[in-house]
Amino acid sequence: MKKIAVLGLIVLAAALPACRPAASAATLHVYTWASYFKPELVARFEKENACRVVMDTFDSNEAMFAKLKAGATGYDVVTPTSYMVSRMNALGMLRRLDRALLPNLAHVDPEYLKIAIDRDMDHSVPYMLTNTGIAYLKSRVKDFVPSWTMFDRADLKGRMVMLNDIRETIGAALKSLGYSLNSTDEKELLAARDVVLRWKKNLATFENEQYKTGLASGEFLVVHGYSGDILQVQAENPNVAFAMPREGGAISCDDLVIPTGAREIRLAHAFLNFLHDPAVAAENTVFIKYLCPNKDGYALLDAPFRANPAVFLDPAIRAKCEIFADLGAANALWVRIWDEIKAAK
Amino acid sequence: MKRSLTPFVVTAAVLAFFYLPIAILVVHSFNASRFGGAWQGFSLRWYAQLLHEPEIWQAARNTLVIALTATAASLVLGTTAALALHRFARTRLQRVHYSLIYIPLVVPEILMGISLLMAFVAVGLQLGLFTIFLAHVTFCLSYVALVVLARLQDFDESVLEAARDLGAGWWTAARRVLLPLLLPGLAAAGLIAFTLSLDDFVITFFVAGPGSTTLPIRVYSMIKHGSTPLINALSTILLVLTFTTVTLSQRLGRSRAPETP
Repeated sequence: MKKIAVLGLIVLAAALPACRPAASAATLHVYTWASYFKPELVARFEKENACRVVMDTFDSNEAMFAKLKAGATGYDVVTPTSYMVSRMNALGMLRRLDRALLPNLAHVDPEYLKIAIDRDMDHSVPYMLTNTGIAYLKSRVKDFVPSWTMFDRADLKGRMVMLNDIRETIGAALKSLGYSLNSTDEKELLAARDVVLRWKKNLATFENEQYKTGLASGEFLVVHGYSGDILQVQAENPNVAFAMPREGGAISCDDLVIPTGAREIRLAHAFLNFLHDPAVAAENTVFIKYLCPNKDGYALLDAPFRANPAVFLDPAIRAKCEIFADLGAANALWVRIWDEIKAAK
Repeated sequence: MKRSLTPFVVTAAVLAFFYLPIAILVVHSFNASRFGGAWQGFSLRWYAQLLHEPEIWQAARNTLVIALTATAASLVLGTTAALALHRFARTRLQRVHYSLIYIPLVVPEILMGISLLMAFVAVGLQLGLFTIFLAHVTFCLSYVALVVLARLQDFDESVLEAARDLGAGWWTAARRVLLPLLLPGLAAAGLIAFTLSLDDFVITFFVAGPGSTTLPIRVYSMIKHGSTPLINALSTILLVLTFTTVTLSQRLGRSRAPETP
């Protein structure tokens, strides 16, 4: 037995070095969502910079945060959502960007930066935007109004869905009342809770993934959802339309950041710069169907995409939209209200 | 006497509960629709697209490398642990050893994942395939040890003594008597370890490092932010592979059956 054990260990010792990651100097490690970069563009970057790009994926901001916070290092570029970027920055987990290495940031849409959290792009660069609004089936919903009050329509009872997301759904209610969706005021939040409770009576469910399927198949008629997702459904069912409520809604942005544990600092900057090359930004936007906020890239998109109100919001409505900010200490209050909503009959 | 239909109905219902979701998944992997809500015609586009997803294949390769090496290592370590536990069952040391082996089975995965991550960071080990391998050996070892231990408890020690009496050396006795008798237990333990390693998500998520994304991690991320039909196609391929392996091993088992009474 001992010999078998020894033999086994020798075999293992021989096999293991082979499966360690190659310690080549020019490998850029990107930690991101699945399918978040057009593969051809990544291949072009690899060729131009004589390096390898290795993608690893996470499925939620919180899981990624927990992992990096516990000390995982070696990722050179990460793509968290803005609210998570500010939390990570507050904890000193992000590297200041070297603007001299990022000339392409001149192309970033200044209109977007006005509502961004990290306006000076000190530690993050906006990568992909999506708008949260209302999607519906044109042929089945009579007299649609672009407003959050759609969820009060009793005639659509049981055929409507809202996101199972504390920030998105309470945020929508806050917006419908004319408050900020980053409100930390208890009175405003309690009023928003009552609105969601009223809506809940008309909803089939709170849901984040299946609403796309449900809308494509006509099971749901009105859904609260992300414009990027809706555009994908539209490609299949042209009867689907997207509208941003006139009260305003949420704009979410995933940012590009370089964590403090990064090794390939120069290459990471080169990657950020590459992604904001207008031609690259436009190509990536078409592939992912989210919007890279690159003003010189907009001109390179085809006309129907440019005219799509789901992607390019009407300026008047856009002015009322907000980006989610980290709630800080008010988080507990939000969670309590969300629990009350979820528990209510 | 008329036989009751109830057992048949219950069996059929249970089997449907097990296999219907899988059948739906397989059917949808051929659905042209991206959202799988309505049938939009038969299509192989998701399989074709799979060919152009090098990251998925890389993840599949990582998963297999880890599952194979972790199974091999945990089989060796787990079996030796089981032998020690069995032979010296009454000593205080082995009782402590037993609880230590047992604990990983009941510790919540998330706790194990985060504590392993912190341990790796503390000793300065670079996260990657090697740390995933270590983590998988850690939890597979316990399962292997307990399965082999169960097999050892039915083991007739006198057979081994007889072999020694008849002049077999320690090594020959172990190889010609102990190992063949333990083989079913080892096979079962190996299969359990392999499956556990293959589909572990929580622990792997924490101890994975740059460039070592495994298939379960990749699939989770794709559900959230990617294409579900691709996952269906990938799962169908995995299913076909699994069924072929199972069928083949059963065939092999049957053809060898006449030799053993």
